[in-house]
Amino acid sequence: MELFLETGFTSLNKKGEELCGDKVEQFSDGETTTLVLADGLGSGVKANILATLTSKILCTMVSNGVGIEECIETVVQTLPVCKVRQVAYATFSVVHINREGKGWLFEFDNPEAIYIHNGKCGNFDRKEYNILGKKVYATRLSLSPDDYIVLMSDGVIHAGIGMLLNFGWLRDDVMEHLDKNFFEGMTARGVACLLAGACNDLYVGEPGDDTTVAALRIRKVSKVRLMVGPPVERDRDDFYISRFLEGEGKKIVCGGTSSQIVARHLGEKVSASFEFPDKDVPPIGYIKGIDLTTEGVLTLRKLLELSEAYLSSSDLTPKRSKKRDGASLLANMLFEEATHVTFFVGQSINAAHQGLPIDITMKLKLVESLTDNLRKMGKVVEVNYD
Amino acid sequence: MVKVTVCIGSSCHLKGSRQVVEELQYLINKNDLGESVDLGGTFCMGRCGENGVSVTVDGDYYAVKPESVLDFFNDVIVKKVK
Repeated sequence: MELFLETGFTSLNKKGEELCGDKVEQFSDGETTTLVLADGLGSGVKANILATLTSKILCTMVSNGVGIEECIETVVQTLPVCKVRQVAYATFSVVHINREGKGWLFEFDNPEAIYIHNGKCGNFDRKEYNILGKKVYATRLSLSPDDYIVLMSDGVIHAGIGMLLNFGWLRDDVMEHLDKNFFEGMTARGVACLLAGACNDLYVGEPGDDTTVAALRIRKVSKVRLMVGPPVERDRDDFYISRFLEGEGKKIVCGGTSSQIVARHLGEKVSASFEFPDKDVPPIGYIKGIDLTTEGVLTLRKLLELSEAYLSSSDLTPKRSKKRDGASLLANMLFEEATHVTFFVGQSINAAHQGLPIDITMKLKLVESLTDNLRKMGKVVEVNYD
Repeated sequence: MVKVTVCIGSSCHLKGSRQVVEELQYLINKNDLGESVDLGGTFCMGRCGENGVSVTVDGDYYAVKPESVLDFFNDVIVKKVK
């Protein structure tokens, strides 16, 4: 079974701050993923610099296979000393893991990471080490599919202190909240957003501290193939469509003409639905044998907007949409369910569309921006131009 | 039964096919024609160049603008039903 590592994070800035004093840094070479969450001392610019240095140094060194002791030594020697407090300090959590789910977790002074296994929260079996006089906790990881590691800064467990709650919520409360609201198949980004959203509520929308949640999930590979637009060579439609259809994974067709030629190839009919769950997005259609059929450019434009919101680390709207319009359905399939996305972009020009805001250049630009955003989400994207 | 099909492709969407659909649904209900008119949608009919949203009534083509749906309904659909 082929496995895939997925990461996602959400950050809330302390009220009134432009910059976040927490920083998430990640690197993946396709085989091994390194995820670092660092929390700098204080807030604002100073904290941001400390967190940025710490996370970047750790991520680069750890991902290149340097031992943790040497990494920490480098961090300690590099961080500038705070004039007010006379210390150089940033807390951190580091995950270094391969696609089989084997690896390490190192923690220094951040709240203890939460391990979600079989949909239930638990603790890691961590061991204490003394490295350069610092207490570092190390855990040898061995994850199974659909396990999650949830890293957080202390803004999470301090949420609501002196506001809604006297002492904030405890780690147990955080786990209870996750247990209650977690659902099967949730993405890493979804989990991070769920927890950060709860913190934001406890802070009544005005965080008293920088709050960051970063999650890593190991999951099965799930492929999606998406065709948008008819190919240029009209008489070779069948060749291109069979190539699109024969690959493994769910199939999506975007565009009126595309759906008609795919239906013709399959010997089926396209039926268009007549509902407008969103007034900006044309209705979807149905072809037997195709998982999702939508209109083209207008739906993709909306999808691009949704992808920006999905990527924004401060966006707290739930990541899995309950809306039923074409763009939201596409968003769920591409952002939430897929790990690999293959595009088949036909470049045939619809003469009647030229000059309108739905012409071919618009379509190609949309596909380009969309693939960029999918890559930023960590998806493996392949684009074929036909 | 009169078969009315409205194009909901990109180009017609921009020209207001949603308004046309909603207004037709409203008029059909109001005139109690639900039993005699079968309203449906389709993707691009390939006549994006026409000045209006593409609509077919029993296979005959019409380009309908959102502001003239009422006239189209009275002149074409109601007559056809009778």
